[in-house]
Amino acid sequence: MKAFFSKFLRLDWVMLVCMLLLVRMGVRLIQSAGGARTSAALQDLWTVHAWTAVIGLVIYVVLASIDYRKLLDWCAGPVFALAGVMLVAVLVFGSVRYGGRRWLWFFQPSELAKLAVILLLAHVFGRQPAADDASPRRFGWRGGLCGLAIFGVPAALILAEPDLGTALVLVPTAFVMLLAARVWIKGLVALLLVGLLAAGLVLGAVYVAERHPSPDGRARVIYRHMPLKEHQLKRLRVFLFPDRDIHGDGYNLRQARISIGSGSWWGKGLGKGSLKRLGYLPPAVSMNDFIFAVLAEEMGFMGCLSLLLLYLGILLSGLRIAWRCPDDRGRLLAIGVCTLVFAHVYVNIAMSIGLMPITGLPLPLISAGRTFLVVVMAALGLLQSVAVHRMDES
Amino acid sequence: MRVSVWFIAGLGCLFLFGFFVLGVSLYRLQTEKAGEFAEVETTQTTRRISVPALRGRILDRSGHVLADCRPSRCVICNLEELQQRGGRSNTVNAIDAAVEALSSAIRVPRTLTREQIARHVMRASALPLTVWRDLDEQAFARFAEHADAFPGFDMAVRAERRYPYGTLAAHVIGYTGRGRPGEDSVTAPAERLGAHFFEELEIKGRKGVEGFYNRYLAGFPGERFLRVDARGFRPRKSAGQELADAAADDIAPTDGLDLVLTLDIGVQAELERQLEGVTGAGVVLDPRDGAVLAMASSPTFNPNDCIPHLTTAVYATLTNAPAKRGQNRAISEAYAPGSTFKPVTALAALATGWLPDDEYDCTGVYQLGPWKLRCWDYYGHGPINLRQALEQSCNTFFCNVGSAIGTNALVEAARAFGLGACTGIDLGEETPGVVPDETWKKLHYNEPWYPGDTCQMSIGQGMLLVTPLQMAVVAATLANGGTRVKPYLHKKAGMDASGTQPQPEGPVVPFSQESIDLVREGMRDVVTKGTGRKIAIGLPVTCAGKTGTAEIGRGETRRKNTWVIAFAPYEAPTVAMAMIVERGESGSKTVAPRVNAVFAEIFGRTEGENVP
Repeated sequence: MKAFFSKFLRLDWVMLVCMLLLVRMGVRLIQSAGGARTSAALQDLWTVHAWTAVIGLVIYVVLASIDYRKLLDWCAGPVFALAGVMLVAVLVFGSVRYGGRRWLWFFQPSELAKLAVILLLAHVFGRQPAADDASPRRFGWRGGLCGLAIFGVPAALILAEPDLGTALVLVPTAFVMLLAARVWIKGLVALLLVGLLAAGLVLGAVYVAERHPSPDGRARVIYRHMPLKEHQLKRLRVFLFPDRDIHGDGYNLRQARISIGSGSWWGKGLGKGSLKRLGYLPPAVSMNDFIFAVLAEEMGFMGCLSLLLLYLGILLSGLRIAWRCPDDRGRLLAIGVCTLVFAHVYVNIAMSIGLMPITGLPLPLISAGRTFLVVVMAALGLLQSVAVHRMDES
Repeated sequence: MRVSVWFIAGLGCLFLFGFFVLGVSLYRLQTEKAGEFAEVETTQTTRRISVPALRGRILDRSGHVLADCRPSRCVICNLEELQQRGGRSNTVNAIDAAVEALSSAIRVPRTLTREQIARHVMRASALPLTVWRDLDEQAFARFAEHADAFPGFDMAVRAERRYPYGTLAAHVIGYTGRGRPGEDSVTAPAERLGAHFFEELEIKGRKGVEGFYNRYLAGFPGERFLRVDARGFRPRKSAGQELADAAADDIAPTDGLDLVLTLDIGVQAELERQLEGVTGAGVVLDPRDGAVLAMASSPTFNPNDCIPHLTTAVYATLTNAPAKRGQNRAISEAYAPGSTFKPVTALAALATGWLPDDEYDCTGVYQLGPWKLRCWDYYGHGPINLRQALEQSCNTFFCNVGSAIGTNALVEAARAFGLGACTGIDLGEETPGVVPDETWKKLHYNEPWYPGDTCQMSIGQGMLLVTPLQMAVVAATLANGGTRVKPYLHKKAGMDASGTQPQPEGPVVPFSQESIDLVREGMRDVVTKGTGRKIAIGLPVTCAGKTGTAEIGRGETRRKNTWVIAFAPYEAPTVAMAMIVERGESGSKTVAPRVNAVFAEIFGRTEGENVP
């Protein structure tokens, strides 16, 4: 009992409070967004979200109270294996919604896979070297390939669903962890540069092809050599020329921008966002990927600023935990979780305001989505575990 | 340690930088551009709806209502209540089925086709759809009974034009149709004309004073701001989803003004009664200021038949020749004035040097080269002076005078009386008529001017064409001593209150008072001992006048248009009028008794007099 209390006192309170406030914000926003819907199930979705948060909180407390080293020893491999099996299963048995085969009943294996990759990478590359600690070249290109495989296989399976957004956050998260662990730095940096260059080239090519409103022969030649699907091309087009097709492909982004912009300083008040309620902001996305637009419309710039500060509270406490953690596994775990959360927040908000092409990514702790909520809370529970158990005997 | 603190610090900086970028972008979007986006939001979520104003009434000079708006019982459908999931055609089907069911429930055949419903759903889904207009009381009661079973349907009362006196003064009042609200009200504030949507078409004047004073009667449409959802429907009131319309910005319509006319319905009714059954027209003016007391054209029509809009069948009856019921013959048909023009010829002669006592020997025929013109008195009037010639309407005398003074003097006199030009009355559709001269004839007939043309013109025949209204103005000018008043229909405000006599305003004809008095005396003789005695029978006041019988056409189509111009009382005239009956016998036989009846309506009858 005494031991439990001492653990309790070592919790990172800032992170806990920020998380709870964000969850509460999410529940209110889902309630508000559901108010615009006609079906009773969607109107009451916020209660489901709230109960899921309670389950998430239980998992959070349980994970926080268990030493993360033991957790990694016991779970890293099995969870990764489970996630892998489920990713395969979802491709076979999954139910198709919103143009992707992503669900096993209510469960999204791709969300679990994010956590599984972080766990396994932390487990594999954070192990204490056996004899002497200063051997930075221990993970050479072999380690690098191993790391690439750990996140590459799930990423490939997720891409096959298809769920480009999830695959895209998995990659930077894994890259940051591998770089932190100094695994095959030259190779990874080279890969990173090649990736960025390729992305830049694709974007430039689309820009050249689409510069004139009616695609000409040049556009056809460019597209013949480009490995892009039609819907991906549309999103890049909308990103590059947001004002071109505001009643078709560019509709969601434009309405999101109008919602956010019209929120002004203080917003229109919770539940009073007219664009959301009148269905201009498409109801299908207002609870999930575009929930930030609802927040910005109803709570204004001040609401957005509070949201960013709360996330910053979680991220900076997470990095503080990493900083104070004496072993690599804890640090890697903390860095992985922080990067995952940051990537989600950044990509989601940036796409809502047109800074990035639209990819379907939820806003952590806010968007409706049971699996992701539980996964994020579990990940933050692991962070707390690092905070609580960092001084324990290993 | 493999993972250095510097890496962690660097990652922290990256996070901070990323959030800084987001914060700055959001700041730009939500504060600097907020106004712009708020405006976009308003334009896309609200519809400006034009609200028609209540059209003003039309009254006669003593306040009898000639035109007003009556309530019309309508059934409307609020589309959002019947909105269906899926495509719009589902909604159209649902409304179509509901209208069909309601139609059998209230036992009124439907007037709305599926296409009309579909068009409304596509274009104006925020606005209620009018399902029936102008239901009778029973049907409306049945609807009230069944209303609960038909959600989305509602009663509404709209305005419909009504003409309580039916055919009375139909040509002056005109009729209305429907048009877009504020379509032509250039006087309305510009910001009220931006609405692209309207619940119903506005009542719009098409003819007569309804048309001429449309802006005055119509007022300005108001505006209503409706919230619409992404699909263009108004948000449903159910499920606690009340989103207020931006009612604070609504602008109430400015109702139209009442138009008071100078008409007197008693005189108007009598004038129309006298024209019943014949084709013709008549105008009664107040010579003191030009106020139109009555204006009639026959055959006539009932403007109520043109409501709510002109059907093809009604339009055909209005325009088909020969009746042309819709044509206001008093202003838009030009006739040869015949002998009623002789006072003008007389004044032209006096101005050119013809002396009152100069005599001409009428032998019953006027010889002009090989061409003979007969006077109506076969044996001739013998030696005759100007005053007697007017009294007897001697053709040879005026032919001789006309030839003596020349065309130009005649044309100038005719123009001085306003012939050949629109009078400027506040009605559209006016025709100027024709005062021919050498250039005109060259232009239209490519023929030179012959002495015979002058001769014809001096007795009001040939190419000279005038409207009845113009002749009424001639009568009024002679009556008031030479001021050519401008006829008008819109009664000037405060005219009664001041109690002073109206003073004639307008150009004064360039003839000496003596000449005018002489012509007036001649016209007085016409009714006392000349051709127009029937004008004066049984009247308690003195009067003066001139008859006319214009022969037109040749052979088969030869016919006589019969005229009278007259004014009374002779000493201080308060009434001047002109009347024409097409295909009459003669001015004195056909028209004079009718004019007499109109005067009797105004001035009453002397006791014990028998009226022919």
